[in-house]
Amino acid sequence: MSEAQTLEVEVTAIEQVTPLIKHFKLSPVAGGSMPAFSGGSHIVVVMRTPTRVYRNPYSLLSPPHSLDSYEIGVRRMEESRGGSHFMHDQVRVGMRLEIAHPVNLFALDKIARKHLLIAGGIGITPFMAHLEDLHSGRVPYELHYSVRAPEHAAFLPRLRERAGERVRMYYDNAGQSIDFDGLLSAQPLGTHVYVCGPAGLIERVTATARDCGWPDSHIHWEQFSAPPVGDAFEVFLARSKVTVHVPPDQSLLESIEAQGVEVPYLCRGGVCGFCQTRVLEVDGELIHNDHFLSDADKAKRNTIMPCVSRARCKSLVLDL
Amino acid sequence: MLVTGIKSKPVYAPLRADTRGHYHLMLGKGMGNVALMRVLGELESAAPQALARTRVLLIPAELSATPAAVSGPPPESPAAAPPGDFAALGLEELRVFTDVPTLLRDFRALLEVALMGTRLYVAGPESFIGLAMKIALEFDLNKDEIRAEELGTLARRVYCIHCRTTTEEVRTNIVRCMDCGNWLLVRDHYSRRLAAYMGVMVDAEAPGERPEIKEVFL
Amino acid sequence: MSAVFKPHETYRNDFTFRNTPEAIRRFPLPFPEDKYMYSVNIEPHMPGAKGSVVEFAFDVDEHYVAECREREIVLAAEPLRYQALPHMMSSQWDVLELIMESLARDYPAHFSLAKHRNRWHWINEPLGIDQEFTFGDPASLPREPLDFITRQAQGDFVVMDQREGDLWAEAGMVTTPADWSLDFDIGMTFKEWHGPVPLAHELGVFDRALKFLLNLRLGQPVRRLNWTMTVNPRLDTSPENYPKWGPDRATITKENAGDLVHLRVELQGLWRLPRSNGVLFGIRCYLISLRELSTVPKWARRVHRVLEELHPALVDYKGLSRYRDTVVDWLAPFDDGAPTTPGAGPD
Repeated sequence: MSEAQTLEVEVTAIEQVTPLIKHFKLSPVAGGSMPAFSGGSHIVVVMRTPTRVYRNPYSLLSPPHSLDSYEIGVRRMEESRGGSHFMHDQVRVGMRLEIAHPVNLFALDKIARKHLLIAGGIGITPFMAHLEDLHSGRVPYELHYSVRAPEHAAFLPRLRERAGERVRMYYDNAGQSIDFDGLLSAQPLGTHVYVCGPAGLIERVTATARDCGWPDSHIHWEQFSAPPVGDAFEVFLARSKVTVHVPPDQSLLESIEAQGVEVPYLCRGGVCGFCQTRVLEVDGELIHNDHFLSDADKAKRNTIMPCVSRARCKSLVLDL
Repeated sequence: MLVTGIKSKPVYAPLRADTRGHYHLMLGKGMGNVALMRVLGELESAAPQALARTRVLLIPAELSATPAAVSGPPPESPAAAPPGDFAALGLEELRVFTDVPTLLRDFRALLEVALMGTRLYVAGPESFIGLAMKIALEFDLNKDEIRAEELGTLARRVYCIHCRTTTEEVRTNIVRCMDCGNWLLVRDHYSRRLAAYMGVMVDAEAPGERPEIKEVFL
Repeated sequence: MSAVFKPHETYRNDFTFRNTPEAIRRFPLPFPEDKYMYSVNIEPHMPGAKGSVVEFAFDVDEHYVAECREREIVLAAEPLRYQALPHMMSSQWDVLELIMESLARDYPAHFSLAKHRNRWHWINEPLGIDQEFTFGDPASLPREPLDFITRQAQGDFVVMDQREGDLWAEAGMVTTPADWSLDFDIGMTFKEWHGPVPLAHELGVFDRALKFLLNLRLGQPVRRLNWTMTVNPRLDTSPENYPKWGPDRATITKENAGDLVHLRVELQGLWRLPRSNGVLFGIRCYLISLRELSTVPKWARRVHRVLEELHPALVDYKGLSRYRDTVVDWLAPFDDGAPTTPGAGPD
């Protein structure tokens, strides 16, 4: 994906919906409608500051059939590299942002006989859009939403309005937690489970589903975590003939982009495999943080996902 | 046109127990029951409590020889995996049938109430497997949840692409469509939705010129 | 650009289909060099040269009205040439929107689309259609959305659902196939329906193509060319009707090859669909007789050489076995052995 494929949008509304989550409304600058999209899609918001460029993915939570604007929810991350802080602290109504066209890596399975949705915290956002599609269909579904405390339940009135009794809330501070085993061991054939939220929640759901005998094709998850930080290192791009310095709090992909070299990407989270890059030489260790490569591929040391992975090395040469 | 070597042709493998499954549903016909018995043995060794969550539906060997066979494989040994052997295993349920449509009807009813974590095993002639898979499709069971082993006759169900009729029990490379009368070449192109192979007119380009009829799906 | 239509051309019986000199010059020859083998050969479906078949997203040419009439004839006899599985409705609307918006934008002299929120007004002047409807409400159209719009577009269409890391052909309008059946193939995955194609699987062509298509992005469609040959300008070379067109293959002689044998090229376009996240596969068919082809000297030389050297498995798969040699003989006098320029365009 190149910069040419971005859209310009104007921020037309900002609302603090929970102590940590801000809700943003993005409208077309040129009037008209936003491009149509499918529930579960995310956009990448490009935030330019004098010192660096952030590109953060956020799920679209607005109804897919209502295209006057896009809506996203951004959680303020405590240890942020800056992207979420930028959104919370710098973005104002009236500002313009660049966004990439929606991409969907978390779609509902169209022939499922039931959908089981599990959200934690900010992970509720893709399900907001999904609920719109589910509302008009006839396939049964349930949404289980876990948050720290009632004031952190983002968008609850909207959820209740759309899904009514099919939403079940769980508040950590009241000692309520999802009975993963009970839930996943009692679903009819043809159910698909979808989970979005913190890494721990995703881990619990996927592990429990597998233990209950669910095949991977019925387990769907999405996670937008910041790329892991690490020691600084240097990379040489063989085709561009450019040396790139990767600081501790910037990902390899971001550092390469900062040098003006484009790398195709879709999720920026180590899941989709789209940014996979050939490693021509490495004198040291590759730190694979992705979920895409197999262990065998990782061991070959000839490929890397620059969006989340790093290196600890004397030299690293990439085919870019 | 490609007749053989087509990648849509289903490929089967000897049945193995899938111990990641929580419930097991098994369908067997004729010699397929031998494969089921083997899988049950594996399950019992790996996870003895699994048998109590296993249901088996089968058509025994001595009832599955078809009278329409011109010349077929040797008659199946009625002693191979008789129902009595299954009954002794402590299964959740065993049902014995005399015909395929009734077995499939009960199979569908079981799928309506089955839970995620179920694994399906089908063993027997290909057409039996195909018809069971057709039903499994309606319940969003996919290849990760289904294992199938082909045993017994290779006789095919053939879908005439010209008049859309299906001819059963085809053992020859060329067959006359029983509805439109065209002589059809039986290709390896297979549709899971129709549970049948494609039959296309064999002598359209040179009417009357047909290859020698050979029994190839025995 | 407005085309001048030849509404009474036929693709059956008396086969009055012919290409004007303009149609011949814009013909998409699928051979950039003097030999041919499979490749993924995908390129971005960006607006191409003015007047070319890739200038616009969906090409409307002089055969538009005649081809739409031919589709109606096929469907009247065989309704199952159009099928859509129940879960594909949102993709049907995606396709209707894509085709209507493209045609209205690119051929404003022939098509117009006016929208007031969900109330749309579509006018197709060449076919005499004036339709108001509510986008998203199937009851407001005389037919299902995919059925309705593909009866107004040239070429076949297959709509794929993306799930489980694969693409599934689960809706389509197929009345101009090069010997494949939607009725048989509907419900198949990408590699299953490509099952009958020889060699390509071993070359890894479908593995790479599938991986690429799974990541196809909104707003970034791609295209490629595919080809075969047909006797008579017959669009409906379906397996269903093989008894009708199969015998034609045995009738080719050195005398009639020039007029009866046609090069048949498919311009295949692939689009990501927005609401359904599915993929639209458009198969736009172009026919040219050998005689028409030979009016372009470079093409006569090139096609002669491609056919002479064609891999036997491809000769068989493309159904050319009975007449390939006759065609090569017919083209031979046009091939003086002179070098041809690279690229497929006429000199």
